[in-house]
This record gives sequence, C-alpha cells and structure tokens, in this order.
Amino acid sequence: MILEAKELNYYYQDGDMRRYILKDTSIAFEKGKFYTILGQSGSGKTTLLSLLGALDTPHSGTVLFKGEDIKKIGYEKYRRNHVGIIFQSYNLIPTFTAVENVLIPMSITENEVPEDKKTVAYNLLDYIGISKEKADRPVNKLSGGEQQRVAIARALATNVELILADEPTGNLDEEMEQEIIDIFKKLAHEHEKCVIVVTHANEVAVQSDQSFLLRKGVLTSNE
Amino acid sequence: MGFIKRSLLSIVRNKVKSFILLAVIIVLGSLIAGAVSIQQATSNVEKNIKERLGAAATLELDYEKLDSLSEEEWMEIELQDIDLETIKQVGELSYVKYYDYNMSNYFGSKSIKSFQGDDVEYEVEYEGPSMDFMLKGINYAPVLDFEEKKGKLVDGRVFSQEELDNGTYVAIISKKLAELNNLHVGDTLTLVNEVYTFDNKTGKEKLVNSRDIVLEIIGLFESQKVKEDADGNSNRGMFDWMDIDYQNTIYVPNEIVRSETQYQMEEYMKADQEFAEMWEEEGSSFEHYTPMYVLNNPEDSEAFEEEVLPLLPEFYKVVSASDHYDSIAGPVESMANLSKYVLIAAVIGTVLIIGLVVLLFLRDRKRELGIYLSLGEKRSKVVSQVVIEVLVVALIGITLSLFSGNFIAAQVSDSMIQADNSSMDDDVIYYSELQPDLTTDDVIDSYEVNLSSSYILGFYGIGMLTILISTVIPLIYIVRLNPKKILM
Repeated sequence: MILEAKELNYYYQDGDMRRYILKDTSIAFEKGKFYTILGQSGSGKTTLLSLLGALDTPHSGTVLFKGEDIKKIGYEKYRRNHVGIIFQSYNLIPTFTAVENVLIPMSITENEVPEDKKTVAYNLLDYIGISKEKADRPVNKLSGGEQQRVAIARALATNVELILADEPTGNLDEEMEQEIIDIFKKLAHEHEKCVIVVTHANEVAVQSDQSFLLRKGVLTSNE
Repeated sequence: MGFIKRSLLSIVRNKVKSFILLAVIIVLGSLIAGAVSIQQATSNVEKNIKERLGAAATLELDYEKLDSLSEEEWMEIELQDIDLETIKQVGELSYVKYYDYNMSNYFGSKSIKSFQGDDVEYEVEYEGPSMDFMLKGINYAPVLDFEEKKGKLVDGRVFSQEELDNGTYVAIISKKLAELNNLHVGDTLTLVNEVYTFDNKTGKEKLVNSRDIVLEIIGLFESQKVKEDADGNSNRGMFDWMDIDYQNTIYVPNEIVRSETQYQMEEYMKADQEFAEMWEEEGSSFEHYTPMYVLNNPEDSEAFEEEVLPLLPEFYKVVSASDHYDSIAGPVESMANLSKYVLIAAVIGTVLIIGLVVLLFLRDRKRELGIYLSLGEKRSKVVSQVVIEVLVVALIGITLSLFSGNFIAAQVSDSMIQADNSSMDDDVIYYSELQPDLTTDDVIDSYEVNLSSSYILGFYGIGMLTILISTVIPLIYIVRLNPKKILM
C-alpha cells in the first residue's frame, strides 16, 4: 500500500456537542490505480482529502505513507516530497507564467530534479497539452481547462507517486472534464502513480479503478 | 525558482503595489532622514564647538551656591582660598595634559601708551593713576595661552624655566602694543608700580610710594582667536573689548607679579596702620593664584570634575570651557530636541503604517501564500520571501529619501534656527576666567546639514530596522495561515 488512513476522526466542536465530519474512517490505496471518493456537498470528502494531503490534521487516527506515519515524516516535508495536490479552483499564482508555476515546486522539493528544470517544466506542460507559447503566458490569460492542466503539471513536477485532486473537473465543461480524466488514467496506468480524486460527479467515479462513497462521515466501497 | 527569485519577480510583477509601498516609504523615510540629518548636524555642532571651546578647566567660587545662602549662613561661613598645594595636586591628575596658575595685577606706565583698538577716533583720558596693563604671571614656560591658541608667539621666544624660577624681569607683549610704542624684542619697557591711599575726607588719592618695573621684552604675540574670527559676526562689541584687554596683557614670571604685589601691600600697610592690623589679625594673604588646567580630552571634563571636587574647599567648583556650550547653543539644542521627537514619532508612524500597508497587501496575496504552504514550502522561507520583497523596495525608498530628507532637513532647520535665534535673549553676560569668545552665531555658523558617512550609515540603520520591525505584524499573519482554509 502506498497510502493508508486508519480510524480517522475529524469533528467540529459545537458547544458541548461534537459534529463528526469523519468517524473512524479507514481506507487504503495502491500504486498504479485511479481512485475516486464520491460524496455530496458536506459529506466530508474534501476534509478526507485534506487529511490525506496533510493540509490539515485529524483529531485522532493516522495516515501512513508507505507504512510510515506522515506526522513522523513531517507534514510540510510530506507535502514537499511525496504528494502532489490539485484543487478545484486551480490555485495557480496569477502573476506568474504557466512555466513559472510549474518551476515553483521543483525549487521547493528535496526530491531529485533534473538540472535543466525549465526544459523539464516545458516538456511536462507539453505532455499535459500546454504548448510552449501558452506556457510563457501568465496563467490568468489561460482558459479554465488549460489552467487545470498547468495545475496537474505542477503536481507532477516533483516526480511524486501520489496525486490528490479535489473536484478537479468541477469548473470545467464536459469535453474538458473527459480530457482531464484521461490524463489521470494515463498517469495511474502508464506512469504507476496513485491518483485519488474527490468528486461529486458519478460520471467521473464510474471511470475510476475503484470508487468509495462517503456519506455522513462514513466511507463505503462503491462497487 | 527559489524564494529569493520569487521575491524579486513579485516586486516586478506587482508593479502598482510595489510603487505604492515605495511611495509610502519615501514619504516616511524622508521624515526619518530629515530627523536623522538634524540629529547628526547638531551632534557635529556640539563636537565642533566643544573642540573649539577647548579642554580647559579652572577652579572658581560657586557664586550660585553662595547666592542661595541665607544671611545667617553667610555669617557662619569662612571662605578659604585654594592653596598652591591643592592647585598642584589637581594638576598631577591623569586627566590633565598641562596646567598653569597665574597671579595677575594691573599697572600703569608713564613711558608707553596702551592699545585702545585699531580704529580709535579719540583717545580716552582717565583721571587718576593709569592701570592699563595687566601683568599676567606665568608658571608654565611655553605659556598656556599660546598652547591653547588664544595667542601665538610671532617674534622672539617664550620663557625659560630658569627665568620663571628666579623671577627674572622679562616679558612677552602683544605685537600691537609693541608697534604702537615702537618696541622690539630685546628692548625694555617700564611700568610703574604706584601705591596710593584714599583720603575719605578730601575724596582724593595720595601717592604713598612708587617704583619702576623694568622688563626686557623677549617675545611678541598676536591674538589668535579674534584674528580667526575677523570675518565674523555683527555683534562682537564684547569681544573687541576683550581683545583690547588681551593686547594690553603682559606675560611675566609669576614671581614678578608676586613681588610687585607684595611691595604694594607692604607700602600700603605702612601708610594705613589700621588696615595693617586688620590684615595681620585675619592672617590674609595677597597671593591669589588662578589655576588653569588643560585636559587631555574635552570629554574627560565630567570625570575630572568628579575627582577634583573632594579636594576643593567648600563653595568652590570646577568650571570647564565646554560648560559654556549650553549657554550659547540654544537654537541648535532646541532643534536637536525637536528632531529627536520627530524621529521617535516618525519611527513609530512608519512601523504602524508600513506594517498595515504590508498586511493589507498580504491579505490580497493570502491565496498565493497558501499555495506555497500547500506545496510544502517552509514557513520561514515564505516569511523570508515577504521580508525580502519589503526590504528591496525599502532599500530603494530609503536611498531616495536619503537625499530628499537631507534636502528638507537643510531647508527646515535653516529657517527654524534663524527664527529661534532672533527670539533669543542674549543680554546675560557673566564674567568667568573661561569666558568663551564664541557666540550663538558661531554655533549657528558651524551648523551644517550634509551627507556625511555617519548620517548615511545612521539613516540606513534606523530605516532598515524600522522597516524590519514593521514586517513583524504581517509575519505573525503568515505564521498563522492555514492552507486548507485558504485553498479548499
């Protein structure tokens, strides 16, 4: 297993009451597979993803990356070296160009990165479908689909094995949605990445290798 | 793309925000620079004027303390003279570079004319005996006044130790006095030591006895300070008078003054038995020496005073030349005070305003900072990125305000000093052995706002430190950021 969550609990304190978002949630993921976690708004799927990506910490329970507690690895270090995160609203730095956005994580990670970072960044963008001409544009001059491709390229820039995506097609039209899903499938099946996508769209879930359903903080396999 | 490159790119890419920050820093920086400029200029004036006032110190009666005594206390106290032993003991202290003690007396002459100024329109005729010439006794052979640049030997030589020890009748006179009377080195001049009694009934003076004082001229001196200030200020009446007095001063060995004064006293006592008895009864002495110490450093004044005070009889104090600084530096001092408050206010204002401006800009860039954190960037590097951005803009702003602040300081301080000076009350003149021949105008003349290295360093130091402090609030904001809340 590349990633495991064990008995995760996450709640909001509401006076004396605890409102559980996740309750004793356990889940495991393998390399080379494309997973989806399906759930309605407020089901806790984004919270689960934030815990798997170490953007937040659970009240109890552990997240293991290759068998090691990410708390022990260090949350910042885990984000820096082991996981790439893609957001619904892309979260690119608007004043920088597409290629500059891809270069940022390459200077942050401690993973081995080729010396000619810029060429690698251009190649990565090209592979994802962003031409060199577009790569040199400020990201706010690109379409939504193009921005999400840049965000995927940024997640891959540090050569991590684990890709987490929060509603990556939520802001895209159907055609663009399919193109992004195809990229995820390719990453999982051809490049042995573990891709975990959180979505509320059934049409995305049906294309994954394995889908989980999250309802009121309780996770079940959606097979 | 490391955090340093990101900082520089952010400055360039966020042009409008960078420009606003730059403008704010220039405005506030000019205020700080102006205040620092004035501070530097005033402290230079203090140093400069204190240097010009010299490192001389003397021992004097503390008239302020005596004035504060009640009539009863006056009856009880017995004022003592400072004896020669104490004068020498103080002179041996490590702070003292060299020292002298002088006994002075005034005499007239029937053969030479006294100097009355360069542009004498009419000669002043006095009734009674002339006392135009001051014999100033010397115990320090190279002459302390020459060493301290009050006068300069322009012809002949100074005293030898042998002449001082033996009380040889040799003298150094001013060049002007010599020229007026066609005297040269090697010539002799004759003063007359006349002793008079005063008849209360007739109200007239009666000559008791007299003798000639024949002095061989061994040197001529020129007054230095007045010469230097020849281009000087409009209000120099008092200094003209002081200069005339100095031109009529005749340097001789102390022993001559002592012996001539003794002659006066003895002859007077012969003529006035009542006075002689009273003098005998009180055990008074006619030997009064005025000590003059030159310290190694004007800054030693306080330490010197502290060590000397316990050695002195009651009601005496140490007076240093630099003490006069406060009495002549009014406008500059008030300028210094004002600039101190402006500096404090400007620094506090800058910290708050820059802090808030940066915080506002960071709120706009909250998402960007969250992205760096989500990518695993260390918080310390995110903080460093913001600090570098602010400091680079600040460095440009501070460099520009270095010149603008200096220019403003020069303009503002000029008009303020002139306004302050014209409203100053300069009527109070008191006499002291160390009466300076420097005025408030000299202080103002030496006040100069310029781009000195100490000003540049001082301003960069204060400016950058202020900017650094002002980034503390934004930094706390960054440290508290939660990437999940920002991005998801």
